[in-house]
Amino acid sequence: MAEEEEGKEYRWETGYEKTWEAIQEDDEGLLEGSVAEIIQRAKRKRQAERHGNTRLGMMRHLFLVIDNSDCMSNQDLKPTRQLCTIKLLEGFIDEFFDQNPISQMGIIITKSKRAEKISELAGNPRKHIKAVQQLTQVACSGEPSLQNALELALRSLRMLPSHASREILILMGSLTTCDPGDISVTVQNLKAQGVRCSVIALAAEVHICHKLCRETGGLFGVILDDCHFRDQLFQHIDPPPAATFLDSSLIKMGFPHHLMQEGKEASLTMCMCHVDSTDGEGGRLNSGGYFCPQCCSKYCELPVECKACGLTLVSAPHLARSYHHLFPVDNFKELEFRDMQDKIELCFACQKRFGEHDKHVYECGTCSRIFCLECDMFIHDLLHTCPGCATNHSTSQSMSNDSVPPR
Amino acid sequence: MKLSVDGLLVYFPYDYIYPEQYAYMLELKKGLDAKGHCLLEMPSGTGKTVSLLSLIVAYMIANPLSVTKLIYCSRTVPEIEKVLEELKKLMTYYEKERGQAPKMVGLVLSSRKNMCIHPQVSKERDGKIVDGRCHSLTASYVRERHNYDDSIPICSFYEGFDIEGREVQLEPGVYSLDDLKEYGQERNWCPYFLARYTILHANIVVYSYHYLLDPKIADVVSKELSRSSVVVFDEAHNIDNVCIDSMSVKINRRIIDRSTANIQLLEQTVNEMKEDDAKKLKEEYQRLVEGLRDASVARETDVVLSNPVLPDEVLKEAVPGSIRTAEHFVGFLKRFVEYLKTRLRVQHVVLESPASFLKDVYQKVCIERKPLRFCHERLASLLRTLEIADLTDFSPLILITHLATLVSTYTKGFTIIVEPFDDKTPTVSNPILHFSCLDSSIAIKPVFDRFQTVVITSGTLSPLDMYPKILDFHPVIMSSFTMTLARPCLLPMIVSKGNDQVAISSRFETREDVAVVRNYGQLLVEIATIVPDGVVCFFTSYLYLESVVASWYDQGVVDSLQRNKLLFIETQDAAETSLALLNYIRACESGRGAVLLSVARGKVSEGVDFDHHLGRAVLMFGIPYVYTQSRILRARLEYLRDQFQIRENDFLTFDAMRHAAQCVGRAIRGKTDYGIMIFADKRFSRADKRNKLPKWIQEHLKDSLCNLSTEEAVQISKRWLRQMAQPFSREDQLGVSLLTLEQLHSEEMQRKQQNTADQKL
Repeated sequence: MAEEEEGKEYRWETGYEKTWEAIQEDDEGLLEGSVAEIIQRAKRKRQAERHGNTRLGMMRHLFLVIDNSDCMSNQDLKPTRQLCTIKLLEGFIDEFFDQNPISQMGIIITKSKRAEKISELAGNPRKHIKAVQQLTQVACSGEPSLQNALELALRSLRMLPSHASREILILMGSLTTCDPGDISVTVQNLKAQGVRCSVIALAAEVHICHKLCRETGGLFGVILDDCHFRDQLFQHIDPPPAATFLDSSLIKMGFPHHLMQEGKEASLTMCMCHVDSTDGEGGRLNSGGYFCPQCCSKYCELPVECKACGLTLVSAPHLARSYHHLFPVDNFKELEFRDMQDKIELCFACQKRFGEHDKHVYECGTCSRIFCLECDMFIHDLLHTCPGCATNHSTSQSMSNDSVPPR
Repeated sequence: MKLSVDGLLVYFPYDYIYPEQYAYMLELKKGLDAKGHCLLEMPSGTGKTVSLLSLIVAYMIANPLSVTKLIYCSRTVPEIEKVLEELKKLMTYYEKERGQAPKMVGLVLSSRKNMCIHPQVSKERDGKIVDGRCHSLTASYVRERHNYDDSIPICSFYEGFDIEGREVQLEPGVYSLDDLKEYGQERNWCPYFLARYTILHANIVVYSYHYLLDPKIADVVSKELSRSSVVVFDEAHNIDNVCIDSMSVKINRRIIDRSTANIQLLEQTVNEMKEDDAKKLKEEYQRLVEGLRDASVARETDVVLSNPVLPDEVLKEAVPGSIRTAEHFVGFLKRFVEYLKTRLRVQHVVLESPASFLKDVYQKVCIERKPLRFCHERLASLLRTLEIADLTDFSPLILITHLATLVSTYTKGFTIIVEPFDDKTPTVSNPILHFSCLDSSIAIKPVFDRFQTVVITSGTLSPLDMYPKILDFHPVIMSSFTMTLARPCLLPMIVSKGNDQVAISSRFETREDVAVVRNYGQLLVEIATIVPDGVVCFFTSYLYLESVVASWYDQGVVDSLQRNKLLFIETQDAAETSLALLNYIRACESGRGAVLLSVARGKVSEGVDFDHHLGRAVLMFGIPYVYTQSRILRARLEYLRDQFQIRENDFLTFDAMRHAAQCVGRAIRGKTDYGIMIFADKRFSRADKRNKLPKWIQEHLKDSLCNLSTEEAVQISKRWLRQMAQPFSREDQLGVSLLTLEQLHSEEMQRKQQNTADQKL
């Protein structure tokens, strides 16, 4: 990364960083442990806040607003705020669509007192990632305009059907915003439209951002360092509880199969997703693809909204994956490893042998299996099912029977 | 919650209590028990007002004989209103807990301007005009005339009050300004006179300092308050200056000219009256022979505007023969004003004592001391006799007689300074005669003598031991409380050098140095880049502010400042400043961010709170010493040294540090708030300055935060701002800086309490 950096300042010109001050020794005089522990504690805390049986907005429509103003070239995140943000966003976008397959995202940047949409509301992660990556070429300049960015996002979100959740996530590096009008009117507008705005500030708490979040029911966070930034960012992957006034409605969806036309007569066709893209890489002709059950347009990947007839095309696993948010795995019990030392040796999931540095181990409440910290995080963040319960026939049965359908 | 403070059952209207509030109540209780005076310092935003009110009210209920009345003095109308709100909350809580509110009357007294409900008079903006117009509607002779001539207007509200108001007692309850006005409207009573009448039997009175300290007003309003009262001076860090101001007089040429015109008018009226109503003047003469005491029988509406600083003996004696008749008195005044005019015609500075002034008066214009002493009262009597309704026009002449009475009454603790020109503009002749009080204890002495307990409290009273000296009293309790905090929500730092390692200081020798000014600019720019929303800066004087901003323009500092935030500057013009403030607040609210440059001792530094986002950082550029070349100050310093053995330097540092603390204290207005305080001057890091800061700031001013360079300060602030922005809820405070009843009574807390109060007896 160091090579990419072309900041104004040299490393030795930047401010003092007393990195040693953030580190505290733990009881045994080890350094690493206590820092990691702080971060992990925060992660677990966030998990603990998740509950089952809440109504969640599954079809999310999220606008990412990225500050691209002057202060994003600040080097307090390495290598610069902008590059660090982009790096994290790549991961975020992937993860977001992985966890919320039937959601859509758009990206807006704001700089030089203007706001610009660099990626339309769509469900294709690759496109977004590409747009974000291109930002590395864009120079940071001027001041951001929060109001312009919000208005721009609102213009697109306003059109959405009433059952969709509308969200804006702002990554704000600047401490000021240069607005053409009264921003409090915009805030009230957003509130009236039910748009949930969250802000992650990179420097300090700005009153208007805090107010925006409070009014619209979003989260406001200020990062401490890049790890914390990641945590702050990734907590937006979980779908937020649905606003009470969102309508429940039935949505027509298509479940296309992947069809391969074989044989001689198979004609090479262009898929709809790449039909108007100019760059060569995606636009190759092939014979296979997903065909919309309603209008038979071809797509090379799912999920997508049919360009011809507007039908939402998904595959069943996508839906299932979205579904897991409704039934999170119960939190594991944290146990002192010292007390358990005689009884267990291995993590049930990864078969790792517990050693000196494992302070805590985790027990599933249902199957009473013991897991290490990494597996605990992995199960809750990604797997969404407990391997202990899944391998045990009786518990896995009972679990699916007990589970209550969402209201 | 109901808690027991040293055996006294106190109803506290909130579910949670700060530990320092409890400690504060303990100390206060001790003071009340000992029937002595207290000096208590507790940071603002930790609920001083509610602690004071709930403890004293509980004490009054428990000991109805020893404490009968609470007199709560505050500075401004909004502060007074806040006290009333807290009091209401307390009474509601009593009602909820005990089924009935205690039988207490609590009310507010303010000027006519704030209380008038007369349809026309209340429209006036200027306080003096409201007073004058009210007087012209309610003076006794006006009402008398109205009796046989209906065309003469009177105030129906006053009449209503006069007929029925005095018989009926106000029902128990708490009356704020609006409540009183409403009450007045309903019954057709004048709220102002109702309040003035009611404070005599009310249990809790809330009003401004001046009603007690300014002898002109205190004599009218607060004379008959009983001895067993508790007097509280809130926000009292400037109390000595209030005392001094209330006893000082400043006379310039304009006042002399206008009073000459006044005298001419008087003369004319006297002559006219002699022709058509000589009897009246004769009557007055007779009255004066008998002595003034009878002359001024409870005519409250007449005397309120014109009460002198009269020691009791003046009222007992008869008015000297030489000024008994109206013509003689007018001639007497003429001579005195002429004399003053000659005194103002000087080329060099004159400094003299009241005694030599009196001697000079006698030699030059043959005016003796005794008639001078009666001057003020004599004029008041004459104005009454002449039935001049609107007294506003006569204020210059009244001021002159005020001077005459003061100068002849007090010989010690005052000085007379005549300056031919302003120091800043030595070429423009603008003579001013200062009759200046040097001893702040003169004005407050009657208060200490009359009332059994006087509580002086504020957020910034450090160093505490100075106040008993300069106010000349002996407190039984003297304590400073810190703020217990769940997180370090204030970050005081002493920045002593710039990035180029040049020491920064506002010392007179270096303050104009380009390097110093540039480093100040650099500091401000860097702070403005990393601090969100509002930043407030304080300079030591308007003069310095102007010169620094001018060189910042040249150095390009202003440009780089405006890249991050909008810039606002306080000026000496009040209207301009309030406009700047308004826009400053708007800029902070909308996320644009703003920097406000203002002046220590100015309006902003005293009255305006910059809580939360309005003031995330406060910078103090230099130590705000007073202008030491001022002759009045020098005379005062000399007096303090001779009379109270206070070294000049000690007093100057004390005064500078309390203003610095006051300035930076603007940023923290409560426990959920957070703010950076930067003292940008090398001299702050010296022990004699540092130790004079309030305890609650000193506590957070670690050694590692003194003597920083700009860069280091910026790094520390950056990290701290991020930490402070992390979510902070009430749960985090509980048990540390916020206690429930159970936590309060737990043993550990009790022990801590013992240590909190820093006794300095």
